[in-house]
Amino acid sequence: MNSDFSFPAFSPSAPDEQPPNDDSLAPTADASSSERQDAERQDPERQDAERRDVPQVRLKGESGRLLLLLPPELDTPSAPNTWAEVCQQLNQRLMSGERFWQPHTPVHLIARDRLLDGRQLQTIADTLAAAQLTLKRIYTSRRQTAVAAAMAGFSVEQQSPLAQFNAPEEGKALVEPLYVQSTVRSGTEIRHPGTVIVLGDVNPGGSIVAEGDVLVWGALRGVAQAGSSGNGRCLIMALRLEPTQIRIADFVARAPEAPEQYQPEVAYVSSGGIRIIRAADFARDRTT
Amino acid sequence: MSRIIVVTSGKGGVGKTTCTANLGMALAQRGHKVAVVDADFGLRNLDLLLGLENRIVYTAVEVLAGECRLEQALVRDKRQPNLVLLPAAQNRTKDSVSPDQMRKLVNALTKVFSYILVDSPAGIEMGFLNAIAPAKEALVVTTPEISAVRDADRIVGLLEANGIRNAHLIINRIKPAMVAQDKMMSVKDVQEILAIPLIGVIPDDEKVIVSTNRGEPLVLAADANQRGLAGQALQNIVRRLEGETVPFLDLTPPADDFLARLRRLFRPTE
Repeated sequence: MNSDFSFPAFSPSAPDEQPPNDDSLAPTADASSSERQDAERQDPERQDAERRDVPQVRLKGESGRLLLLLPPELDTPSAPNTWAEVCQQLNQRLMSGERFWQPHTPVHLIARDRLLDGRQLQTIADTLAAAQLTLKRIYTSRRQTAVAAAMAGFSVEQQSPLAQFNAPEEGKALVEPLYVQSTVRSGTEIRHPGTVIVLGDVNPGGSIVAEGDVLVWGALRGVAQAGSSGNGRCLIMALRLEPTQIRIADFVARAPEAPEQYQPEVAYVSSGGIRIIRAADFARDRTT
Repeated sequence: MSRIIVVTSGKGGVGKTTCTANLGMALAQRGHKVAVVDADFGLRNLDLLLGLENRIVYTAVEVLAGECRLEQALVRDKRQPNLVLLPAAQNRTKDSVSPDQMRKLVNALTKVFSYILVDSPAGIEMGFLNAIAPAKEALVVTTPEISAVRDADRIVGLLEANGIRNAHLIINRIKPAMVAQDKMMSVKDVQEILAIPLIGVIPDDEKVIVSTNRGEPLVLAADANQRGLAGQALQNIVRRLEGETVPFLDLTPPADDFLARLRRLFRPTE
């Protein structure tokens, strides 16, 4: 691990910080803008498990219906799962993926151990209805939630048939990619245990944390983290890569200086640092 | 069907209240029945800008407590009878009102008024949530500063998450001369980040400060010279709100030639 914890900028003005095999790695025309590298290894213990296991609201298609998964209630102060935030996330997810389901698709709510009262359930049903979806069934492991749901007139199943969502699994594969069709604005954080695809911009102050790759079909101006569970082979790519900060596995890199003209670029980990290369060159390097 | 529009920004001091007062007044001048609602409980200002401070008897809090009727709390503007103000309480905090209560209040106003402008407080806490609760549309005010734009971006995200997708952008206090010198963010720079439709660009103008201190909205001024470009821009926003297509004002700074310098020398207040 690097003992120096300063955050050196990507810039040609600090040549002593670049590894010796710099030239061979990225055969690009403009070394100052298209191939920029510097990174910093952080304490791997920072990848605390409890942060990983705080998922966000998720919508998941499964055999013709949608599963709405709510995050479990946790006492972790960093866990962004108060009721107001759950509502905002639900709205955001519904807005950013509405092309992918037909109107009146039945939705099954997987509430896990979340305590929901009748009013909150009604709010969820109303929010779904506004997106032309119908709340059909509620799965919960809490008796109180089950009673509230039954009182509000929803069909309930108290024994969750999807117990695997609660059980921490060993060596699991990544879940299906999350497709976000909206601008990720300041203050929005998207966490997903898989690859995240954003069709839009990620604005400064917004952040994406993915266990897989991060693909931004737009400008990445905020913070992006790929391979958040420690997979250093994950990538961050954007049509316009001008991030506040990028992280891959436990490497952190600051934004490079702005080049004259932006081109699609890919960030990856190589020889102990995050490197950025033009997308065209990246594809050529990987295929030949 | 009346329109309920919240004027909000995230950051403080970018001109929410000034915009609310002027847009409300301009809408009223065009013959609409307009109510402006101050949602900034504890730090109310809208009454000052409209020059109605000394006519407030009851506030929204008393209405909600059932101590007076809604009509009693409404302050009618003496210059423009189409405009009324629903003042906020100065001796309470934002937490003294709930989003549901705001919704009820504003919905009651929709029976009489065709435009309801809600002046939101700065921040994203309770006061903001109260202000946006009844709204169907939003005007997001920002200045061409990085902090104001960042906050406006957060606000647009929160508006969307709360179901208000009809948001328009007002860029306030732009200094064309500074933009030309590349010392200030341009309209295009701001739009690139915020990516919501632009409804107005208001140039920086000292006349706004004067009108604010006098409690006379700029759009009230009789002749165009007194209103200035800022007043003109505000009136254009109102026309665009009503669906008219109005070209944006040409704000390119006048060429700094010898004559212009000479003229400035003799008119130091300009």
